[in-house]
Amino acid sequence: MRYLDFKRFSIYYDPYLIIFITLLSIIGLFFLYSASDGNSSVLIKQSIFVFFGLILMIVLSQPDPQIYYSYSGILLLISIILVFIAIFFGPEINGAKRWISFGFVSLQPSELCKIFLPVFIASYLYGAKLPINLKNTFLTIFLIFIVFFIVSSQPDLGTGIVILLSGLYVLFLAGLSWTFIGTALAIFIISLPFLWNNFLEPFQRQRIATLFNPDLDPFGSAWNITQSKIAIGSGGILGKGFGEGTQSHLNFLPETETDFIFAVIAEEFGLVGLTILMGLYFFIFIRCFYLSINARDRFCRLVIGGLSLVFISTLFINIGMVIGLLPVVGMPLPLISQGGSSLISFYIAFGIIISMASHTKLVPR
Amino acid sequence: MIEINETYKEKTSFNKRLIFLYVVFGILGIVFYYQIFNLQISNYSEYEIAAKNNKNEEISVQPLRGIIYDRNGEILVNNIPSFDLITKPIFIDDSNDFLLKLSSFLEIDEDEKKVFLSQFEKAKALNKELTLMQSISDEDRAKFLVRSHMFENAYVGKRYLRNYLYPEIFSHSIGYIGRPNEDELDNMYELKGLNQKINFTYTNQLIVGKTGLEFTYEDILTGEFGKNLREVDARGRTLGEEISIESKAGNNLYTSLDLQSHQAAHKALNNRKGAVVAIDIKDGSIVTLFSSPTFSTNQLVNGILQKDLDKLLFSQEKPFFNRALKGRYPPASSIKPAIAMFGIDQGLIDWNFSIFDEGFFTLPEDGRIYRDWKEGGHGDTNLFKAITQSSNTYFFDLAYRSDINQLNKHLLSIGFGDKTCIDCFEEDKVFVPEPSWKMNKHNFGWFKGDTVNMGVGQGYLVSTPIQLAKYAYIIANKGNFYDLSLKKDLVKNEKKIEFNKFSNDDWFKLHESMVNVIEGNTGTARSLREKKDYIVAAKTGTAELVSGDNREQYSETRLDDSLRDHALIIAFGPMPNPRYAVSVVVENGESGGSVAGPVAISVLNSLIQE
Repeated sequence: MRYLDFKRFSIYYDPYLIIFITLLSIIGLFFLYSASDGNSSVLIKQSIFVFFGLILMIVLSQPDPQIYYSYSGILLLISIILVFIAIFFGPEINGAKRWISFGFVSLQPSELCKIFLPVFIASYLYGAKLPINLKNTFLTIFLIFIVFFIVSSQPDLGTGIVILLSGLYVLFLAGLSWTFIGTALAIFIISLPFLWNNFLEPFQRQRIATLFNPDLDPFGSAWNITQSKIAIGSGGILGKGFGEGTQSHLNFLPETETDFIFAVIAEEFGLVGLTILMGLYFFIFIRCFYLSINARDRFCRLVIGGLSLVFISTLFINIGMVIGLLPVVGMPLPLISQGGSSLISFYIAFGIIISMASHTKLVPR
Repeated sequence: MIEINETYKEKTSFNKRLIFLYVVFGILGIVFYYQIFNLQISNYSEYEIAAKNNKNEEISVQPLRGIIYDRNGEILVNNIPSFDLITKPIFIDDSNDFLLKLSSFLEIDEDEKKVFLSQFEKAKALNKELTLMQSISDEDRAKFLVRSHMFENAYVGKRYLRNYLYPEIFSHSIGYIGRPNEDELDNMYELKGLNQKINFTYTNQLIVGKTGLEFTYEDILTGEFGKNLREVDARGRTLGEEISIESKAGNNLYTSLDLQSHQAAHKALNNRKGAVVAIDIKDGSIVTLFSSPTFSTNQLVNGILQKDLDKLLFSQEKPFFNRALKGRYPPASSIKPAIAMFGIDQGLIDWNFSIFDEGFFTLPEDGRIYRDWKEGGHGDTNLFKAITQSSNTYFFDLAYRSDINQLNKHLLSIGFGDKTCIDCFEEDKVFVPEPSWKMNKHNFGWFKGDTVNMGVGQGYLVSTPIQLAKYAYIIANKGNFYDLSLKKDLVKNEKKIEFNKFSNDDWFKLHESMVNVIEGNTGTARSLREKKDYIVAAKTGTAELVSGDNREQYSETRLDDSLRDHALIIAFGPMPNPRYAVSVVVENGESGGSVAGPVAISVLNSLIQE
């Protein structure tokens, strides 16, 4: 049990996670300043998000996990309603309706789904026997796909994929039968051509095709990846220095503040900078691993495991895309990319994780 | 206990699965890290270059072309600044709108608009600049400059024009520059490693020598392209530019051409069709190479209206035709000294040998009559008189007794039928006729009469003014000569004509007879005597275009201007130590002595009296 005891008032916390997350957030601000060409309004806005996000994280660490267990359904429902509000009432930006505008700031409610869906599934499967029976399996998968399709219809394939993964991680960790996994994988592989032809937009197919053959389309969708690789490669060992990246500052690199900020970091700080950055992420993962292994009960285990894997997946999809190993899909670099929604959602996730890690079960005397 | 077992089983299963997922991500992480390592370490140099190529554009910088001087250091061709209105199509959204905006205060030529619109899309795609107006006036420049804040996509750039200071009188010798054709472009891009993007120094953009010395000495004049490195962003906006290799201006060209003599020739010919070539006897360098009528190279290079160009192109007078190098004229009587040299050298005649000239020569074979220009003839005629008074009969007789193959060799040896000049542009070597040539060309055997005609420089024999000048030069310099050339101080080997019997004494007598053409009381060019204050040796010629049997027939012929006889003269002076040799042809000038002669004298005057 980790908490500061102020007689009647205790604060629950995890020192390692808080230190590393704060560190990463501050370094992120530093990177973002360069990536946005020294735009101070971007920096100030992001700093406000980081500041309140960290406070929110601490606040959300305080309730007992029992609260999350009890309210997980309502939290997920609220998130989904917010997504619908965005779809029906939100502003349309670049053909997508993902945002709810609060005047001074717009937020993406779909980001909340990737947090509360795994929490809800963990609570749902809390009492399930091993291996999970077919009924529970199908119900869970049904729910996962419903949320996935709602979010994807905004459209927002990137977040949709993470939501899909977040639910499946929990299901898997909760003890999905291997037979089922094997069967599902086989069906998935067989139906791949069907999915390719019917569910992917032409531009998405193009992005996947260019991944395997960049020469197909050097100035279209492959352009971004080519420029991103040049940015990373030309960074070398030590990088070109803060604010010195030519690829990022002369606009060869797209989306420098958001999806491609990793390439900006790579160009300006080189392999050394990237290694330090990835080291910070690595410590967070290891800490999450430790916390989930040692969680007080199954619910906490599943939630810590599930949320930390959402965090890892977001990171890997982003880096994989930027270094040209995965197709281009909108995905932020967690805790660093510009954008309040993604930032806040991860602070919420870590708030919940810390809550689950720092509250030990009251042992009946 | 069951619950504890269940919990234990669940926890183990969870741990295994979590470890499984972490291992999967761990492997992915290694793959990613390996990829990053590949990008940043293994392929670093490749990507570093790619990043530099992204932002750095290599721009070729056009050098200034060399200046061309006359033999006294007078500038004949230089470069003068000019201001052009240059646009940046990549920053122009609507080309028509842009032109409309400019037209509100500038008068843009319709042709210029057309050219601009036709090249606009391509220039925009390639992010190239496009010149809209060339050589704009100071007024237009001021009008634009006060509004330049409205036009971030256009600017007034300083460029140069190739400027011909004497645009009409050197148009055939110096020639002119022009835009490169496809082959020349390929050559520039491939051999000189030129980039597609060029900072032009000239209003005409890329230029190469097209004719004359501008063409022959392209390598000397052109200079070396420099290189600038330009930093651009992804939109192609220029952020900065620095010189990486300075462009190297072309070398100046010092020619042997003489300004005053060209001006004299131009004035004396007064736009009649003809040509003047003068040679410095000291080294065989050409001091005058003038063809008339002429045209303005400045207009041609820096802007000429289509109708004016058409007028030049389709003119009956053919101003672009370089008569001095390519005009084929029968040498007529001016060939007589050459025939005389041949006769003496072959032992067919000597200075004492004489014939009785009764006004014609009868070919023994078929009784055909070859008339002298003077009815009744010259009476008793020796070689001296035959040259001074230009007796045809004497040379008909001499030619009749000559072997055509030997004569052919002789004429070739003194510069006929071959190129005379090392660095002239497209000189016509013509030919010297002989039996096999006639067989090939006319499918007809050689008649004795053909040789007889050659004896007075008629018939099949033709030559160019520069060949006549070289021939005059060889006579003046007594058989010693250098190849002709236009570049000053060109290193050449002296050549010498080999003779059998023709001696120094013969040279002296030949000169004396030619001096008498002008200075003697019976000479054919005695009218020139008073036009100078030194002694000149000469030989006139009147080339018949239509052979008539008598003067009556000719008076009908001469009603048609273009069928009138050509007037020729070869001359050298001042005697007895000649410094310059000159040849003049005036088409349809009729009289070598009184029409071509004064031109030759005024050119010699300008050379000798300066």
